[in-house]
Amino acid sequence: MYAWIWRHLPGSVPVKVVQAVVLVAVVVTVLLFVVFPWVEPMLPFTDPTLE
Amino acid sequence: MVTTTRIPAQSPPPERPSRLRPVLRGLGEVCITLGLVVLLFVFYELRVTSWFSAREQARATEQLRQRWQHDPADAEEPVDPVAGEGFARLHVPALGPDFPFTVLEGTDQSTLSAGPGHYAESALPGQRGNFAVAGHRAGRMAPFAELDELESCDALVVETDSQWYVYRVLPLRGEVDGWDPEQRGRRCSGVAPIGGPYQGVLGRTVVEPTRREVINPVPGQPRGTVPEQWRSRLITLTTCHPRYSAEKRMIVHGVLTKRYPKVADRPELKPPELGR
Repeated sequence: MYAWIWRHLPGSVPVKVVQAVVLVAVVVTVLLFVVFPWVEPMLPFTDPTLE
Repeated sequence: MVTTTRIPAQSPPPERPSRLRPVLRGLGEVCITLGLVVLLFVFYELRVTSWFSAREQARATEQLRQRWQHDPADAEEPVDPVAGEGFARLHVPALGPDFPFTVLEGTDQSTLSAGPGHYAESALPGQRGNFAVAGHRAGRMAPFAELDELESCDALVVETDSQWYVYRVLPLRGEVDGWDPEQRGRRCSGVAPIGGPYQGVLGRTVVEPTRREVINPVPGQPRGTVPEQWRSRLITLTTCHPRYSAEKRMIVHGVLTKRYPKVADRPELKPPELGR
């Protein structure tokens, strides 16, 4: 999967490295600010109130 | 005549064109990726949520400060909380520099992400009955992270627009029998096991999440069974237990021991219980 992505990134190696870092940053941002806030209320970790 | 037997140079055995290999590699990569995502989620839960919460808590505190400045305090009027907004400040000197926190009205998830939240049906600070507050134990600034470290007689100071209310943690399990106020010193004045319907109300307990009666006006007693004039003035803090789980709830009960009116001209005056 990662090899496939690497092969399909255009440009020379340094350019590829920059693109890879940007891709990782985008994925992390989407997870932290969109996916996790959406998933979290459904998980039983953090409710400190009485039922 | 010399004959040499020549062994033809052997090429390595041709790789079997395995279909399985790329599939297995892909599977391994997916597993590693999922592991990293879970790690990132832990980081989110414990740290990132605290960054969001710190902003919301600061906003609530600022709003409260402005309200207190513009609205001159009237000691006769009780505080009038608005859902989702801050209405009091909770100081717990024993828990160190993270405090004070602004307490907001309501215990829904979005309110609790901004700070400790007041159970709307419970009493207000200083009133007879039970002033009950919920707070996170892990993540979202975890205001009640160290609730398990509170000892009997530790001060829980609630600041409203016009008053300082000094509650103190009730005797813990094991201290109730043979509680001697004389021996405990000045710090514990006003703290003692309360008898009658309050028997069994301890400084700290761990209960099932369904035990909502701990925030009743008299903890553990059905609502309305104890007439108002017989009720003590309690504070109750609830949080998750054990930490990082929501399997049970940790409950801390305190009793009101002192009240100081705020002096409008001297806002820097603070109760001695807060220390320097």
